[in-house]
Amino acid sequence: MPLINNKVGDDGTVGKDKALVDGKALVDSLIKVVACYRVLATCVGGCTDSLQLRDELRQTREKAQRLAMAIRSHLTSHLRDKSLPEEQRKEMEILWVGFSSSLELLHVDMCKVFNMGDIFSLSKKETRVQNGLQGGGSEVAARALSVPDLNQPQSTSLPAEFESHERSTMEKDISQLDHMIDDMEMKVNVLRWMVDPHGPQYPDPLSSTDSASLLSVDEEQPGHQPLHQRRKLFVLLLLVAVVLVVATLSICIVFFS
Amino acid sequence: MTIRNTLQDHGQRYRPRMACLKKSEKVLLEMQDPKTGLKSQPQRLVITTIPHAITGEDIIAWLADRLQVDTQEARSFGSMLVALGYIYPLQDHKRLVIKPDASLYRFQTPYFWPTQQWPVEDTDYAIYLAKRNIRKKGILEMHEQEHYNRLHKWMNHKWDFIVMQAKEQYRAAKERKKPDRVVFDCQERAYWVVHRPPPGTVSAMDYGLDRQIDPNSDEAVTPDFYERIMIFTQQSIMRPRVKSSVSIGALVKYCATYNNHDPFLSNCLPSNPWITDDVTFWTLNMPCVEIPTKMRVERWTFSFAELLSDTRGRDDFRLFLKKEFSGENLAFWEACEDLKWGKAASIKEKAEHIYKTFLARGAPRWINIDGKTMEVTVKGLKHPHRYVLDPAQTHIYMLMKKDSYGRYQKSPVFKDTVKKAICPDEHRFSGAQLEQNSKKRRPSLSPIILRQMEQEQRAKMAANIDITQLCRFTTPVPHLAVYSGFTDYSHCHRLTLPHLPGPHPGLSVPHQRGPGQHLGV
Repeated sequence: MPLINNKVGDDGTVGKDKALVDGKALVDSLIKVVACYRVLATCVGGCTDSLQLRDELRQTREKAQRLAMAIRSHLTSHLRDKSLPEEQRKEMEILWVGFSSSLELLHVDMCKVFNMGDIFSLSKKETRVQNGLQGGGSEVAARALSVPDLNQPQSTSLPAEFESHERSTMEKDISQLDHMIDDMEMKVNVLRWMVDPHGPQYPDPLSSTDSASLLSVDEEQPGHQPLHQRRKLFVLLLLVAVVLVVATLSICIVFFS
Repeated sequence: MTIRNTLQDHGQRYRPRMACLKKSEKVLLEMQDPKTGLKSQPQRLVITTIPHAITGEDIIAWLADRLQVDTQEARSFGSMLVALGYIYPLQDHKRLVIKPDASLYRFQTPYFWPTQQWPVEDTDYAIYLAKRNIRKKGILEMHEQEHYNRLHKWMNHKWDFIVMQAKEQYRAAKERKKPDRVVFDCQERAYWVVHRPPPGTVSAMDYGLDRQIDPNSDEAVTPDFYERIMIFTQQSIMRPRVKSSVSIGALVKYCATYNNHDPFLSNCLPSNPWITDDVTFWTLNMPCVEIPTKMRVERWTFSFAELLSDTRGRDDFRLFLKKEFSGENLAFWEACEDLKWGKAASIKEKAEHIYKTFLARGAPRWINIDGKTMEVTVKGLKHPHRYVLDPAQTHIYMLMKKDSYGRYQKSPVFKDTVKKAICPDEHRFSGAQLEQNSKKRRPSLSPIILRQMEQEQRAKMAANIDITQLCRFTTPVPHLAVYSGFTDYSHCHRLTLPHLPGPHPGLSVPHQRGPGQHLGV
């Protein structure tokens, strides 16, 4: 970061603050991409597994790796800078912990996808687990890649070709990630037990209506399913009866008046 | 020392006993076959329908057909698949069993299949719990709440990351359509029911400790390696052999005798605490309980070792010996045990005390062992070590076993104990009571407290030693006013000087130490 030589107050730290803000943005987007990668990885091997899904996984993974490289150079350069003031260093360390944890999650997910790709090869169409999914992961991948819509032209490459290419790249990437993690630990010494996070213990609830309600309705009362339907039918019949009564009454009134 | 099979151990990883995972996966993939696999039906929820639900009875029927087994076995295999996490129930998600009716199940997605390669991380669990909290505050159950608080304490440095990751995963999942969201939630929840089971249940993936080394990897061949093989084979050659008819007969006899007393092989009264979470069985069988149970008393009649190893039995035996005035045998035996198992620093002191109390001529509680053993022991006591009293102890043990034990079993003391022994009724707990019991589980007394209680008891016993149990060769201890049962006081007077010889070494003294008996000296 170029030093801003200014007579005004603490503008020397503006550069450093910007670094912090940049770093935070980068780490946040890495966390987002890793979360999307995980959600996509749960579809592998299921009935919606396809070339498209694998392609989306590849793109998400590449984006995550690009981000990881950027964050690594950014954070290592700042954390090795001995002139960093104390609060900034603390913030950087929190970012560092977030970064290394995301990398660990990404590493495990990549290993799992690699392994599952072995078992559920794209060429063998029969061995797919019927796990109940219907849609693909396109929206999730779109979110990961920060594009509003993922309008992909159908990939023209053959599944087998794509797969073998993908496997070799993935192997390299996994080992690269491994080295990066080791490297990081060597270069920057962050004492994890000294890191003090800001956030609350309980994250704030983001929305109220959700699949939780669906789950709880269906699930906790297994015997009430047929009862529920019967009750609905009864209510419907009652309404129809009321409508009929009103209709006959109105006809009577019209008739007799 | 590892002598391994020369045949490679196929299928076992170095975390043993989980070969079932690979095999289950094969069966599961076969179930997916569109032609010969399971037929699925859509699950109707309030707003939407989700495909690929299968009924319990279909699963069991398919397994019985494919594996050529009967329904009961197919059912247990199906339950195993559910317990491992390959199939999850849609209703009653906490009970991981297969019900042979129309209840619905679904296949778990391969990402959440159980595996040993990647251990289940606490970070992921924390993220999952945070996600559930995001969805609806306060939805976490008691045990989940406790886990959450504990993880917050131990992974505090990562907490920002965990909360952020939970939010991002939540948002990413929200991008999907409603039925897919529901399915994903069910899958994740089922995964965590398997790997972080609710209290009162056990995870099927709990395979015990990880082994430190991989038994399938090749061991480095060094001279040390060969030396160990040589020692092992030499020891196997030198081992004493027993005819298999004899050893098998002994095993059969042991099994037949102890079959009813094994709490896992037969019903344990009132109920097995490991199964019903009710600790009455343990409280009734505590070491210093007043009234023992019938089963316990029956075990005392199996062998002398059983009687002595049970604290309550030993107390009873001690009472009997007190009435027979031969309590010093047991006291000596106990003192020898104490020496053998006690601290090295106290060996010298204990050995001296034992010599003074039991072995010296004119000792207050003189024991009766034959001359040769006495000679060997006294010589050894000049340089005492842990096992110096072994010959004497064995002699006394055999003495008690051959003589006192038989008389004990016919004695009124024992008959009284047998009569008073209780036989508790069997518990019959309903399902709700079992759950309540599992919630009320509490840790037992701390071992520190138990050790203190033991020491207090020992001190009390040591203080209460009945030194009235004198033998006729004891020097009269002047300050003790009570002498029990000696008719011939002149006899004792003659033996006032301590260095007078005791009984002749070669004579075998009768064991009965009743009041009126005379020695042929």
